[in-house]
Amino acid sequence: MIADVVIIGCGPAGLQAGIHSARKKADTVIIGKIGNSALHGAHIENYFGIGGMTDGSVLLKKGLEQALSFGCRHIDLDVIGAAEDGDGFRITVESGEDIVCRSVVIATGISRMKLGIPGEKEFLGKGVSYCAECDCNFYKGLRVAMIGNGSKAAVSAELMTKYASTVYWIDSGISADGSLVDRAREAGVKIIAGIPEKIIGGKNVETLLLSDGSAIEADGIFIELGGRSSSDLAMDLGVMPKADDSIKINNRCETSVERVFACGDVTGRPWQLAKAVGEGAVAGLNAADAAKGAP
Amino acid sequence: MADNQVSVVVTELTDNTFDEFVNGNKIAVIDCWAPWCGPCRRMTPIMEELSTELKGTAGVAKLNVDNSPAISVRFGIRAIPTLLIFKEGVLVDTLVGLRTKEDILEYIETM
Repeated sequence: MIADVVIIGCGPAGLQAGIHSARKKADTVIIGKIGNSALHGAHIENYFGIGGMTDGSVLLKKGLEQALSFGCRHIDLDVIGAAEDGDGFRITVESGEDIVCRSVVIATGISRMKLGIPGEKEFLGKGVSYCAECDCNFYKGLRVAMIGNGSKAAVSAELMTKYASTVYWIDSGISADGSLVDRAREAGVKIIAGIPEKIIGGKNVETLLLSDGSAIEADGIFIELGGRSSSDLAMDLGVMPKADDSIKINNRCETSVERVFACGDVTGRPWQLAKAVGEGAVAGLNAADAAKGAP
Repeated sequence: MADNQVSVVVTELTDNTFDEFVNGNKIAVIDCWAPWCGPCRRMTPIMEELSTELKGTAGVAKLNVDNSPAISVRFGIRAIPTLLIFKEGVLVDTLVGLRTKEDILEYIETM
């Protein structure tokens, strides 16, 4: 698929960017699941023009309909990779499809990394890891358990099969695309239904306990929640995130890489709907102009 | 990068030069990393700045775990980036994961 502008993220910043980009007559594709937006489970009471409590999911649904009505296309999948590609960018989604574009807007919001179960903090670096890409090499010939239901866990589980002797993927409601799940399974990943409850061990991790009382013996526990993180996507595109994972922008929502823009929670505090929408408008307008070669 | 900022190359250790560095500095801060690790690459500029700012206080160096596996095994490293912190040649702490410069400076100041 080819587009002028790809917007990664389907929250308020991404949708507003889409609306403004499409209004500028740029061929615009928004990628992401509205259910992944922080706004989806939230209630709004401090946003201009909205009185009383409004359900975030209702606003997101309306925003998506609005973006589609302006001509945006929507891909209801996670992005699993991005790269510079000639004079533009290549964005890869869970199904394996590539979208080639001139401008990119990073509007992924901030990723939740931690699971919050006993043992997680204590065993960090002693078997608990949040980055399979970084730490796969330390688990050659060992047993690992992958936690996470999204595309990131699927991709990481498949990667780990090249190193570990056994890879378990704990399924507490897998939401990754079927093609990714199939690939993981074909690579030898063993999918086990259950909800992680506790990590136990001695000097290093030894066991993952599930809520049904079953125990999985593992040398490593990889916690890979959601989709590819905003920091990883930024680095894929050549943008270096700050140590707090936020992405630095200027007042045109431009990052350090030409035609890569960012908006919303991913650019830092305040994590407020009004700020996300404001930045989304700026990023969308400028991404459309940049894609079409306007100054 | 502004003109007045000079990029400092942080000393790169190997399995062979590790002990000499640790024993030769009152405080040694060693960043265990690998080039294919995203968070590790983000530590690089932080270590460069620390190398300058801690001059005279602590020795700052990097160790590529891919090229120097013996040190990873010796200290049980299972995640990167990991900062190994030594005082008088003795390991006093292991900080796992990406850290801000301020976090590391604050830690060193309390030693």
